[in-house]
Formats: sequence, structure tokens, C-alpha cells
Amino acid sequence: MQSIASYAWLVPLFPFVAFAVLLAFGRGFRTSGIVVGSAGSAASLIMSLLVLAERLGTNADDYNAGFEWIAIGEFTLRMGFEVTNLTTLMLVVVSLVSFLVNIFSAGYMRDDERITVFYAYVALFVSAMLALVLADNLLTFYFFWELVGVCSFLLIGFWYAKPEAKKAAKKAFVVTRIGDAGLLIGILLLFWHMPNRSLAFTDISNLFGQPGMADSGMTTLIALLLFLGAVGKSGQFPLHVWLPDAMEGPTPISALIHAATMVAAGVFLVARTYDIFLASPAAMDTVAFIGAFTALFAATIAVAQNDIKRILAYSTVSQLGYMMIALGLGSLAGGIFHLFTHAFFKALLFLGAGSVIHAVHTQDIREMGGLGARMKLTAWTFAIGALALAGIPPLSGFWSKDAILTAALAGHPALFAVGLLTALFTAFYMARLFFLVFAGKPKTGARAHESPAVMTVPLVLLAVPAIAAGFVEMPWNGWLGEWLTGTAEETHGGSLAFVASTAVGLLGIYLGWAVYAKGSIRRDAVSSRMPWLLRALERKYYIDEAYQRVAVRPLLALGRGLQAVDDYVVEGIVRFAGWSAIAFGRAGIRLQNGQAQTYGLTAVIGLLVLAALFVGRRFW
Amino acid sequence: MLSSYLTLAAILFCIGLYGALVKRNAVVVLFSIELMLNAVNLNLIAFAKYGAAPSLTGHIFTLFTISVAAAEAAVGVAVLIALFRSRGTVNIDEFDEMRR
Amino acid sequence: MLHLDITGEFVAFFLLSVVMITGAVLTISLTKVVHMVVSLAAVFLGLAGMFVLLQAEFVAFVQVLIYTGAISILMIFGIMMTEHRAEGTDPVKPLHETLAAVAALSLFGLLFFAIRASDFPEPAPFPFGEDQTLEIGKLLYTGYLIPFELLSVLLTVAFIGAIALARKEAG
Repeated sequence: MQSIASYAWLVPLFPFVAFAVLLAFGRGFRTSGIVVGSAGSAASLIMSLLVLAERLGTNADDYNAGFEWIAIGEFTLRMGFEVTNLTTLMLVVVSLVSFLVNIFSAGYMRDDERITVFYAYVALFVSAMLALVLADNLLTFYFFWELVGVCSFLLIGFWYAKPEAKKAAKKAFVVTRIGDAGLLIGILLLFWHMPNRSLAFTDISNLFGQPGMADSGMTTLIALLLFLGAVGKSGQFPLHVWLPDAMEGPTPISALIHAATMVAAGVFLVARTYDIFLASPAAMDTVAFIGAFTALFAATIAVAQNDIKRILAYSTVSQLGYMMIALGLGSLAGGIFHLFTHAFFKALLFLGAGSVIHAVHTQDIREMGGLGARMKLTAWTFAIGALALAGIPPLSGFWSKDAILTAALAGHPALFAVGLLTALFTAFYMARLFFLVFAGKPKTGARAHESPAVMTVPLVLLAVPAIAAGFVEMPWNGWLGEWLTGTAEETHGGSLAFVASTAVGLLGIYLGWAVYAKGSIRRDAVSSRMPWLLRALERKYYIDEAYQRVAVRPLLALGRGLQAVDDYVVEGIVRFAGWSAIAFGRAGIRLQNGQAQTYGLTAVIGLLVLAALFVGRRFW
Repeated sequence: MLSSYLTLAAILFCIGLYGALVKRNAVVVLFSIELMLNAVNLNLIAFAKYGAAPSLTGHIFTLFTISVAAAEAAVGVAVLIALFRSRGTVNIDEFDEMRR
Repeated sequence: MLHLDITGEFVAFFLLSVVMITGAVLTISLTKVVHMVVSLAAVFLGLAGMFVLLQAEFVAFVQVLIYTGAISILMIFGIMMTEHRAEGTDPVKPLHETLAAVAALSLFGLLFFAIRASDFPEPAPFPFGEDQTLEIGKLLYTGYLIPFELLSVLLTVAFIGAIALARKEAG
């Protein structure tokens, strides 16, 4: 009997069919559009679960299949898919979140005119994301990597009538392009140096797994370039600027693309090419420190933001940094574990935020308040998500964060400290967010009421894994790590990390409660003493302004200069070429005037030229 | 002495060429062509006398040329008359049928 | 090479060439067409004189007869039958005229250069001073009989054609 894994290629195909159908039928139908889109992702989910079930039972071998895509001389390019435990896990996460987001969008986007277009884009994205996960070589991977980038661009700019959305879409596209350029160069270098010109992940793994490849400059360069792609996609410093702005898109999109799946693709890329990184300590350190810096940096910004989605966006950046720390410390399982749990609780938080926005029609948390009484279900599920993010046991976020902190404690104490500090800030801003939105007295919108069931059911369904997803890997139970990597990690059992992270999470929540709910600490306790700090945080450390000044304006000036060159020099040459052809033609027309005398004159001049040539040749 | 005759013939020929290329009256163009023919005749006769092997062949040839020139002149004038009758002009600028 | 033999032939050549070049230039530059014919006739006559100088008496005779006589008269008829108003003096196509002048001058320069550069062999004496007409007649009716007859056919055709072209259209 053939294994189910051999049919894994169906997983991305279902949403693609849904996309094609939606594209073909256009805006003709609304309700059926929702059904088609959701059915596509539901089919993917079922298929993914089947694959997962098969792989859970036995210690299954990796399944790889494909076909020759391009054959150039002796070199052939394959396109294929590969089912490993890692990809299976990603398949389940992506298809589950996308299915729930599809359901949620039915309520959230109900009144939008272009809902069918929306579903078409989402279906395309899901298809591309699943194919990216399944890709068995870097080139195919890159292909779908760009495709999800395009979908992200389309969906951020979905409300293109809003100038901010347009700007944000453009920014996301341009900034991630910087990373993509790095990734492409990395792939090309890899292609250059692979012995048989193979870009398949298995070949890469086999080659770089050998000790001989370790620590060569080229390995480090390739790893860093691949990491640059991950930095762009996963919103790591210094290319994080696009992710908060991407919140201009519809909230379900923020949940799906900019929290759970696409931004995790960077982490996934690092995990998929992990052997290259393992071969280069310098690259590993870079990953870890960039991740740590990003985690802390984004967490501090999140403290001072007032837009509910932006807070969550900076939180996403921060948590992605966490994953990078884990990967950089050599804990593949920790990074993927956090990716896994984060996908659920962050999607839950975003969808909860969407529910709130749907109710009060604002995104500014200072204008919200007291929503807990009227939106019980949303408030409870949001609280679960927030606690999971803050790292309170026994919710899922705690276990994954604990795994990372344990690894950090074993590997690099400074990173452990940064991780703890980040956890403190995380707990604090989540508490601030929760209490400002759901506690206290209502400030506006007495008409706010609970969202319809189509939106709350996905919240409840996401709350379940947000609570329970952590149980697959606990300090005394390394099941996930063993399943993913094949070897059990032995770093578990650090009770210091366990206790410290719990304490820090509780402290952060207490501080948030004390400041924003009880009021026992004045809100301007810090800002009155250090107003510059608050301003810097509110302005996101002036990164955007700095980029504006350092990169954007000089580039714009350069662009103008080049355009001037194009307008006057290049176009001048082109025009001259055209003009000279026309002039030549006109001269020909004038010559061809039908008058015998002109023809005669031409003949005589021709004769003279010929004679001059023949005579002149005698002299030199 | 031969080169003097040849130079004179060249001068005549070039004047005729210029006239044939420039003059607008078709009759004058015919004159210019006669000038060029005459220049050629002069060459033929000059070579018949001063050439490496003097003979009467040059004379015979000149006679033929003169006859052909006469025929040409007759036909040319007849063509001009026919043209003039149909167009009302012998101005060479007006004839550009070759363009079509 | 500046030593010149002022012989009779040279003087006659000089005078005749002055007449011919003047006539040719006038043919081109005069404004009235009838005046042009007169100057052209002067060139024809001058050329006949040149033929005499070159001991081609029979050809000179034919030249006077056909060119100066027949063709000039034919041209006058042509002028009379078409139009004989003055040629427009203003140059309508300055570029064309300039180019034509340059081309003609260059061609002359080329020919002149060729004539100067050539090395002509010393000519043998010209043996046909006496009874030249008889010799030409013999040649025409022996060696050149066929061209001669063909020429007569050509002349016949040309004249019939000329008549056909020039006569008034009957219908």
C-alpha cells in the first residue's frame, strides 16, 4: 500500500483549485466564495492531519518525490516535494490556522464588497505557503517564498483606497526584497559550490553534515546570506520595519500571514538549511544575537504603542527573535516548538483583536475599555492567548519559552538574561493591553457587543491548542524534539529557567495590573522622569526616520538622477536613433522624387565616389 | 597635342553634363546631351589621328555616332512635342511619373 | 614642359577651342532658347573645324551637314512646336544645382588628372591624307557593311517613330 505521504502534493493543490475557481467566477458569488475558499483549506487540513497521523504512528522514513523541471545540458533542475516530520508539523499548523482564519473572515469581512477577491488571495497564499513547506529543494522553495511575498503584498494593500495601506504594502514588498536578494545570492553561491549542482535539502544536509565542510568562509557567507532572507521575511532587526506597518491589512490577514505562517517562513528556512548553519559557528552566533536583540528591542517598543494591532505586531517580531535565539543556540527543536505554539496563540490574539475591532471600530486601545463584560467569549479567549504569550504555566507559550530559556542558560548566560528581560516586557505589555481593552469603564461605543458565532468559534478552537500545544514537549518529556530531530536533547531539567521564567511572567503581569487596572502605580511614573525614553519608544527608536534619512532619500535622489540620465541621455540616444532613421527615410523620399535629373545626379555622384575609391587606393 | 584635345573634350563633356543635370527646359537638356556627344566624337577623332595605331576606324565610328545622335534628336524632339501636347509644358520638373 | 611650338595647328586649335567653350557656356547660361541654339550651332561649327585640324575632312563635312544643319534646325522646330518663352532665371533647387556643379567639376578634375597622368605613346604618322572619302567608303562597304545597314534600319525606325509620336492624335 502506498503511504499517505506520497499524496502530500494534494495539500497545496486544494487551495490552489479553490483559488482558480474563485478567480474564474469572480465577484459573482459571495457566500459560495466563502464556502469554496474554506473548503479548500479544510481539505488541506484533513490531508495534513492524515499525513501527520501516519507519521506519528511509525518511525516513518522521509518521503521524497518529484519530476525533472528543467534540463540544461548535463544539469537538471528538479521540482518535487518532501515529507519529513518538520514539514508535516508545518503543514498541520499552516492548514489549521488558515482554515480557522477562513472561517473567521466569513464574519469579519462579511460587508466587504471584494470578499471573493479576498478569499481568492487567501487561497493563493495558503497554497503557496503549503507548497513552500513541502518544497524539496531551495529553488522551488525560493519560488514559493516569493509567491507568498506577493500574496502578502496583495493582502496588505487589500484596502488599496487607503493611502496608508498602499504605502505599507509597498514598504513590505521593498523591505522584504532586500532580504530576498540576499537569499537569492545565497542560493546562487550554494549552487556554485554544491558538488553536483544540487539544491535539494537532503543533499545540502548530507554535504554540510560532514565535518570537512565546517567553518570555511564560504559556508559562513552562504549561511549569512540565507539568514538575510530569513531576516527580511521574519521581520528581524534591521529589516523589521515592514511588519508593524503591514497591520494596515485586514486583521485575519495579520493573524494568518503576519503572525502565524509567512513570517515563520524565515525561521523555517533556517531550520530547513540548519546543517549549513551548524557548520559555521559565526553564523550561529549571528543568528542568536540578532534574534536576541530583536526580541528585546521589539518588546520595549510594544510597551509604548497604542494601536492594538501594532502591539501584537511588535510582539510577533519579538517572539520571532525568540525563535532565532533558539536556532542560533543550536536548539532546533526549541525554535520550531516556539514557532508551533506561537502560531496558535498569536493567531488567537490577532483574531481576538479582530473581534474587538469589529465591535468598536477603532484600533486605539486608549479609546477602548470595559469590553470584558460585553464580549465575554472574546475576553476569555484573548486572556488565554495573552497568558500563553506571557509564559504562564501550564499554557503552551510557557513550555516553548522555557525550552528556549533552558537552552540559553546552558549555552550563553547573556542571552538568557536578554530572554528573561524580554519575557518581563512581554508579560507587561500584554497585561497593559488586556487591562486597557477589557477592564475598566467603557469609554466609547456603548453599542459594542459580542461578535457572531462564526468569529467566536475559531477563537475557541484556537484557544484549545493555545492551552494544550505545549504538552508535546515538557522538561521531562522531550517527545517533540525527538520526533523532529531524531535525537533526544538532554538540556532539560533546568529548574532555574523554569522558576525564573514563571516568576518574570507573573511579575510583568502584576506590574501591568498595578499600573493599568488598580492604579497603585501612576502611569507616568517612568515617563515623567524620562520623557525622552517614552518618546523614543513611541517613535520606535526613530528607526523609520533614520532609514528615511540614510537610505530612502539618497536612493530617491539617486533614482531621480538616474531617471534624468534615462530621460535625457538614454532617451536622447533612442530618439536620435529614431530621428536619424526617419531623417534617412525622408532623405530617401526626397531623393526618390521621380525626376530623371535627380537620379542622374545621384548616378554621377556614385560614379565619382567609386572612382575616388579606386583612384585613392593607389595612394595608400 | 593629344592631351589638349582630350582636355577640351573633357571640358565640353562636363559643361554638357552640368546642363543635362540642371536645366529645367527639356529642349535645353537635349542640347546638353548633344554637347556631350560631340565631346565624345572629338575624342574619337583625336585618337584616330594621335593614337598608337592611327586608322580610319575612329572616323567610321564617329559617323555612326552622328547618325545615332541624329536619330536620337529626332525621336527626342518628337517625344517632347507629344509631351507638350498632353501636358502643356516641357518643364522637366513636372515629369515625375517615375515616382509611381 | 613649358616650351611651346607656336605652329599653325596650335593657333587654330586655340581659336577654335575658345569659340567652342564660349559657345558651350553660352548654351548653358543664356536665357532665350533661340540664342542657345545659335551658340550651340557655334559649338558644332567649331567642332567641324577641329575635325579639319585632325585631318578628318569627311567627318567634318558630315558634322556641318548633320549637326549644324539638320539637328540645329530640328531643335529650332522643337522649340517652336513646344514653348519658347524664357527659361526661369531663379534657381529653384539650390542644393541640386550646387551638387551638380560640384559633381561636374569633380568629374572634370578626375578626367584632367587621368589625362595628365597618362603616358601616351608617340603616334605613328597618319597615312590617310589623300582620298580619305574613298577609303571610308571602302571600309563602310567592306568591313562595316552590316553595322552600316543596321544603322540605316535604325534611322528608318527612328524617323517613322518620330512621325508617329509627333503627329496629331487622330483618335
